[in-house]
Amino acid sequence: MKILCYSSFTFSYLNRARVLFQTLREHHPDWELAALITDRPPEGFNFDPAAEPFDRLVWASDLNIPNFQSWLFKHDVVEVCTAVKGPFIHQACDWGFDAVIYMDPDTAALASLSPLEGWLEDHDILLTPHLVDANDDDAAIRDNDLSASRTGIFNLGFVAIRTTGEGARFAKWWNDRLLSYCYDDMPNGMFVDQRWCDHVPALFDRLKIIRDPGYNVASWNLSTRKVTVEKNGTISVNGAPLRFWHFTKLGAVGDAMTKRYAGTNFPVYEIWAWYKRQIQAATDPTIPDRWWAFGAYDDGRPIAKRERVLYRERIDLQQAFPNPFASGRGSFQEWLEHEGA
Amino acid sequence: MAVTAPVDDRPRAADVHRVIAPAFDPEFYRAIYTDLPPDMGPLWHYRMAGWQEGRDPAPWFSVEGYLTAHPDIAAAGVEPFWHFLRHGRHEGRDIVPSRHAAAYFAQVGWTPEPWSLEGFAAARGAADGQRRRRVSAPPLTALERAAVEAEFDSAFYLALNPDVAASGMDPVDHFVRTGWLEDRDPNARFSVLDYLDNNPDVAAANINPFAHYLTAGRAEGRSPRHNLGFRYDVIARLKPVEARIADAVTASARLRVDPPGRLLIALGALGDLHMTLSHDNYVEHSGGLQACVRREAEQFARRGVAHLHIYPAKPWPVVRASGEAGPLGVLLNGRRLGVFAPDAVANALRAATSGAGRRSFAVHSLLGHEPDATADILNAAGLSEGFFWLHDFASLCAGFHLLRNDVEDCAAPPADSAACAVCAYGATRARHVEAHRRLFERLAITVVAPSQTTLEFWRAHGDLPARAAVVLPHARLEAGRPARRSRTPRPFRLAYLGMPTPLKGWPVFRDLAQRFEHDPRYEFLHLGGAPDPSAPAAFHKVVVTADRPRAMQETLDELEADAALIWPLCRETFSFTAYEAAAAGAAVLTGPDSGNVAAFAADPAVGRVLADEQALNAAFDTGEVLALGRARRKAASYTLAYSGMTADLVS
Repeated sequence: MKILCYSSFTFSYLNRARVLFQTLREHHPDWELAALITDRPPEGFNFDPAAEPFDRLVWASDLNIPNFQSWLFKHDVVEVCTAVKGPFIHQACDWGFDAVIYMDPDTAALASLSPLEGWLEDHDILLTPHLVDANDDDAAIRDNDLSASRTGIFNLGFVAIRTTGEGARFAKWWNDRLLSYCYDDMPNGMFVDQRWCDHVPALFDRLKIIRDPGYNVASWNLSTRKVTVEKNGTISVNGAPLRFWHFTKLGAVGDAMTKRYAGTNFPVYEIWAWYKRQIQAATDPTIPDRWWAFGAYDDGRPIAKRERVLYRERIDLQQAFPNPFASGRGSFQEWLEHEGA
Repeated sequence: MAVTAPVDDRPRAADVHRVIAPAFDPEFYRAIYTDLPPDMGPLWHYRMAGWQEGRDPAPWFSVEGYLTAHPDIAAAGVEPFWHFLRHGRHEGRDIVPSRHAAAYFAQVGWTPEPWSLEGFAAARGAADGQRRRRVSAPPLTALERAAVEAEFDSAFYLALNPDVAASGMDPVDHFVRTGWLEDRDPNARFSVLDYLDNNPDVAAANINPFAHYLTAGRAEGRSPRHNLGFRYDVIARLKPVEARIADAVTASARLRVDPPGRLLIALGALGDLHMTLSHDNYVEHSGGLQACVRREAEQFARRGVAHLHIYPAKPWPVVRASGEAGPLGVLLNGRRLGVFAPDAVANALRAATSGAGRRSFAVHSLLGHEPDATADILNAAGLSEGFFWLHDFASLCAGFHLLRNDVEDCAAPPADSAACAVCAYGATRARHVEAHRRLFERLAITVVAPSQTTLEFWRAHGDLPARAAVVLPHARLEAGRPARRSRTPRPFRLAYLGMPTPLKGWPVFRDLAQRFEHDPRYEFLHLGGAPDPSAPAAFHKVVVTADRPRAMQETLDELEADAALIWPLCRETFSFTAYEAAAAGAAVLTGPDSGNVAAFAADPAVGRVLADEQALNAAFDTGEVLALGRARRKAASYTLAYSGMTADLVS
């Protein structure tokens, strides 16, 4: 099976994407790996795609999204990095691959993912739920079950599709929704690309929900997953081989949630310690912390979230300012200063 | 038994500065020593001249007192404040306050500011990036103060904080005023650091976390410390192997070697000669492996055979690669000849062994050695056949304890396994195996295992081209006789022997002792060089020396310990402590991954192997372990007969 696996990120997450692609290359040298980047390299950073551990580079600006600058401005960094996943997967269906897999940059393969290829023989869409076992502890229900109810039953740090049939139909539908409705707006039923996929079991056939606990292990499901390292060198999760981990929220918040639910299950800390070492080795110090080229107006002033929301809610502003990033006379920025407040 | 962590006793200037600067008290120094040149910093003055003039670096530390109490430090000419901070406090060495302390405090009035250990703690925290910025402690209410006093463990606090003990200050006062700000714990069951990490609301409020826990947190169900197990802490502290190698490269490159001619002269013409190689200077350092080399040297000396020992002059965590500098230390019959480049050692040996004589060699550890340089040196002495001891599993992995990430026995899985991928030692495993393979290809090697279980494991998990293999235990039990046992009923006594380190299973013992602290069926004993008050165990100082090699066994016997918890996290190739315990009539209690210990304790006459730490707790819960009491077991004691090591194998 000819597989394309891609990840969507900005240069702030290049270190994580490098680790993901390195682990994928190790276990799946035959997969084509693609980086989807919604950013521009920071000054002082020498970006050499040929030296990176991926095979194909796609800039979000090359996805032919109509009115790209205006569209991009409506999103913050998380919203846009998830929104571009839709156009990419839809367009990739025509690139000659049998299947396309998306993985978040902060995931990493710890073993072969080859069972996915077997499942894709019989199914057109694969999704991993946040939880495959229910919690019964109050704190865990609040932290994990209710959180998944708000943000989406499936974690869209992973999705795999066949490029034909229901897979292609899903890709077109997801593309359409994400181009218009990929916002962090929970009161209105949206949590970027994720809540949409709650509809997938109802809208599409040939879906497999992966309930194997070795896939998409993360702090939100550690309360019901026990990790062990066997003497033969296999790492198991509830007895199944560990396939890939989702290292969400690298830092104090992630550490706190991991500790809360891993408890004395020490192999979890070993895996996290390994990941942190890999990230450190993959980090380029010339990329400024939290860098994102589209986080500021042309004059360098940061763009506030409320300014993006205002712009996306006002069609008149979108028409008046097709390039809202501009600074100076006649710009959206100038309009904000005089009238937007 | 395994290689112990090497220690370099000679401080570098940068290290001295780094260690003492945060603890040095410049205000005190200036206030007391008014004759300092105005343009000279007090720390600089202390380091350059002050300590040699008997001046004190802080009110809680007397230079003269430390050197008087510890003549070995005085004889070594080492700066005492550095020694205390780096080594002495871990070794339980006593200190006394400066004789100027009282005058100084009278002069300035007591305030937290002069206490430089605040700076010390802050610097320590800054290094690991976890320090919160807390600068002052609000006073406690009478209710909070009473709650703190009720559960504060003064003995624990003073044992862990010798500076506070030396100051004579009330320990509760110290804790309340500044101690908690420095992450000092009020008792063994409460962790200031964990509580503040787990409860950001308490941290943000800048209130005494112990007082909060006692008056509110406990009732709210908050935990007094994290319940992540000791392995979490070990993983959090794990230093990447690459960084450890880089440190060794830097330290070795900085070494100055002695002129080759000096070695040539010192060696003279050697007749009968036995050569050993290991990871350190066995005369200066103590440990199981070092004792083995010492015994081997003695055996050869009795036969009139000279003994030459070669070791990396700076400690190395792994074998050395060909491009990495590696000056070698050389000992002839226990006397240090100096530090030389490997080719200088080979050349000098070639000249010194040009005459006839019986020659033999044994490699006890290849850490810090480069295989081709090692083979060249041995070839230069006319040696091509010899022995390689399996004191550890360095020939299977750079993690020579086979302890994945220092927390769990890995059993040397396939190098491309997921376990090796996430292990800190995984990336350097190939380097180690290939270096040993190179040595085994260059020389005809007979592998010597100190236990059958070690040899079987080594054969099943590696494929090094050894010419032959033999088993030679370091010691055996001889001449059994009834062990000492009093007739009066008393609680079951469980002992821990030696250094309180995770590798040897101290946290398992500590957690067990804490859990059963108030159970009248049990007593817990710790026999070793230094106490660790985190475990409620009666401490008995025991130091095994060349003069008292059986000190551990004798003390254990006198105390009539019923059992010894020998629960190393790693697979031991040979455990002296297990044999010492059995010889003293104590049952050996161990886990399944302890290698030779488990093989030894599988004999019901010796002890018991339990499935895991849960089973250990259950055995104490149910009282099943009481069956191992001396009287019920009709315990026997034995004489421990040591082998002659390689001397037993060389005709």
